[in-house]
Amino acid sequence: MTDAPTVLSIRGAERRYRADHAALAGADLDLHAGRITALLGPSGSGKSTLLRAIAGLERLEAGSICLGDTIWNDAATHVAPEARRVGMVFQDYALFPHMTALANVAFGLTGPGKTARALAQLEAAELGHKAKAYPHELSGGEQQRVALARALAPQPAVVLLDEPFSGLDRRLRGELRERTVDTLRAAGTTALIVTHDAEEAMAVADELALMDGGRIIQTGPPDEVWMSPVSATAAKLLGDVEIIEARVTSGQAETPFGPVDAHGFEDGQPVAVLIRPRAFTLSLDAEGACTITRRRSAGPHLTHRFASDAGEWTAQTPAPSPIREGDRVNVELDPAYVRVVATSA
Amino acid sequence: MPAPAHFLRSHVRLPGRTIGLAVLAAAICAAPVLAVAWIALSGETGDYLQHLAGTRLPTYLATSAIVALIAAGGAGLIGTGLGWLIARTEFVGRRTLAWVLILPLAVPAYVAAYAWLDLSHAGGPLQAMTGGLFPTIRGSWGAGLMFALVLYPYVFLLARDTFAGQSADAYHAARTLGAGPLTAFWRTSLPMARPAIAAGLALVVMESLADYGTVSHLGAPTLSIGLIRAWSGAGSLVDAARLSLVLVVIAIFVFGLERAQRRRARSVNAAGRHKPAPRLQLGAGHGLLALLACLTPLALGMVVPLGRLVWLALHTDTAPGLAAASLHSLTLALITAVIAAALGLATAYALRSRTAIATLAARAAGLGYAVPGAVAAVGVIALLSGTQALLDPAWRALTGEVFPILLTATGGALVFAYLSRFAAAAISPAETALARVTPSLDGAARTLGASRGRRVRTVHWPLIAAGVTSAGLLVFVEVLKELPATMILRPFNYDTLAIIAHNFASDERLGEAALPSLLIPLVALLPMIFVARYLSRQAR
Repeated sequence: MTDAPTVLSIRGAERRYRADHAALAGADLDLHAGRITALLGPSGSGKSTLLRAIAGLERLEAGSICLGDTIWNDAATHVAPEARRVGMVFQDYALFPHMTALANVAFGLTGPGKTARALAQLEAAELGHKAKAYPHELSGGEQQRVALARALAPQPAVVLLDEPFSGLDRRLRGELRERTVDTLRAAGTTALIVTHDAEEAMAVADELALMDGGRIIQTGPPDEVWMSPVSATAAKLLGDVEIIEARVTSGQAETPFGPVDAHGFEDGQPVAVLIRPRAFTLSLDAEGACTITRRRSAGPHLTHRFASDAGEWTAQTPAPSPIREGDRVNVELDPAYVRVVATSA
Repeated sequence: MPAPAHFLRSHVRLPGRTIGLAVLAAAICAAPVLAVAWIALSGETGDYLQHLAGTRLPTYLATSAIVALIAAGGAGLIGTGLGWLIARTEFVGRRTLAWVLILPLAVPAYVAAYAWLDLSHAGGPLQAMTGGLFPTIRGSWGAGLMFALVLYPYVFLLARDTFAGQSADAYHAARTLGAGPLTAFWRTSLPMARPAIAAGLALVVMESLADYGTVSHLGAPTLSIGLIRAWSGAGSLVDAARLSLVLVVIAIFVFGLERAQRRRARSVNAAGRHKPAPRLQLGAGHGLLALLACLTPLALGMVVPLGRLVWLALHTDTAPGLAAASLHSLTLALITAVIAAALGLATAYALRSRTAIATLAARAAGLGYAVPGAVAAVGVIALLSGTQALLDPAWRALTGEVFPILLTATGGALVFAYLSRFAAAAISPAETALARVTPSLDGAARTLGASRGRRVRTVHWPLIAAGVTSAGLLVFVEVLKELPATMILRPFNYDTLAIIAHNFASDERLGEAALPSLLIPLVALLPMIFVARYLSRQAR
């Protein structure tokens, strides 16, 4: 997938909070040098736990975490967080409220000239003029930048960011996202960003890791993962998707919109046909099999909900569109946005 | 293998040691009450109590009820009103008054009572000025009034913070539904603050019932009077314990009522986003009225009584023994405060571990707060004399002598009783302070390479120092003011300021009582200012 060397590798990480609920149920993940990995999953999927386990803030009950040749976690080892070289940006930033921005950034530094180095780090974040300000005197965006500067200042081997943009409003979020990615790239850091926002994950990531039920279910470059999800769950994590259950007959899966190519699957094997809303192509046809039940504008495109005897689905169609509620339409599928995956697994 | 839940919570964990200390705190706080209950229920029935039940007990109960009701009514009115003014309006002096209004807590109610009775007695200055119209402040209503004037800050503090934290939404919703400002306040803001007000009132009632100096000086025979008489007059530990038990039952009832209120509070506070209401800007006229409303209780509870005592002190020769008494008071208060703050902090850390034993220990320690000082003293005597009786045979066998009266006759017994009563007061401030050290702050410090020692020194302590100090100072002030437990437990000829003030006052030598009475609030004022400012800074 990538030729950059592996910096951090996690194998079979397990952690349970209650006997009946595993937060991590055997998660595997590799982080590659200088690359930004986005960890995407619904809430409760274990992504924050995984992040905290990498930082050493959670103990693993099984599995291992290694930085290069150094073992951070295995059956016998748990390296304390303060002994790892990890920078962490917390969801609430966790700035020390009784210290100035500068003192916060200098906290992780040692040796002579640490104040100068902290100031340089703050200046790189364009916050040199706020060095003497206390956290409560900074805006949300500034707090986030101080937290990132603080995490980067000791030049950690890995930087972990836990939902770093969730506390910010939408407009600021996009701006800060770009900034954060630029900062991480400039520092050449290996980074892991946890998010539950698919759009955000794809925007920041060199590599995407999908997490569900305490496991990593798919990794790869964002566009590749988006185009070829390995399961219905993976597809749903990355955006709206229609799922049609079918059985394979002679290399094809039958759908209400015609057969879909399913070569590589055995005859009679149950599969799920994953259809992105933009795969549906609607055309007005008085004899069409489907009826438009709802039409909504969503800016650059429209969503059309349509129904037939077989069910009801949602299409994303380019705006403007002459198709109105109550119209009858014919529906075809664009195979580029259709994938067939096995369901028995 | 299910992991212990406390891994989730905090990352500076010293579970073993802090839980041990929390259990110690619980033992110190709960043991005297349990001893009282044991003695009361197992001892033989003495004639004194039977006699008492037929004669004085109904009076004690009725007087206690009247005093507590007047104290609660007065403190509730003053505390709620001022709390709302400070939290929801803007007028000249508001920011300063926000903490100054807490200071009357530094004045013991009996000190206010000495001064007010002296001012208002027949032939006193106030009657002379008003041509005999000014009523003499004494009896149940007089005592209740004194308590209201110096204890209202409990209600004020809790009401102020609740009003300040209330979301404006409910109030605004009421306004859009057609309620005027007053109706909206009455039907939304006030009910939402009710649990806080109830908690403050519970403290006021308990302090009133625990008091001895005020009610004995103003002639309001409450249960505490009966208790002290049973002990010092009739010398019966069993009877004192039985009366104590009555007080404890009342305390449990009062705090039970308060808890019932609070249980509903959760649903009130959890709802909705947090958008505090803008302050009501008061014009010049209304602002002046608000200022007057704030200054009146301050004047009546603090300035006038302390002024009178200053005048009396200046016109009387200083009584001997004051220096020694001051030293004793300060030493006891300081030792108790330091130990209480340490126990409170340890309990707060233990609570962070989220273990059942820590929670149980904190609850048990909290029990002590509901126990009047005299009861704690009776419990300590019961415990220590029990221990003495246990050790005596062994000691005799070893040395052939009677076991030395080490336990009951030293300051140690006093500190034990103070701790059992006040250590609980140090737990919740420490808990509040420690809540500022969120798990992610700990995590941030760790990922930045800070060792445990450095985390405690540079992150924890700076964030909790003010809270822990103010918990200690609060205990310091309480011990300084404490009278009944000191009376029961003090070693022979060991006087404190409260003791000599009380002794002179009960001999009608108020001139000599003035200076020691004055010294208590004066010494307490500085720590109280620190506490008041700390509590007010927290609120904003």
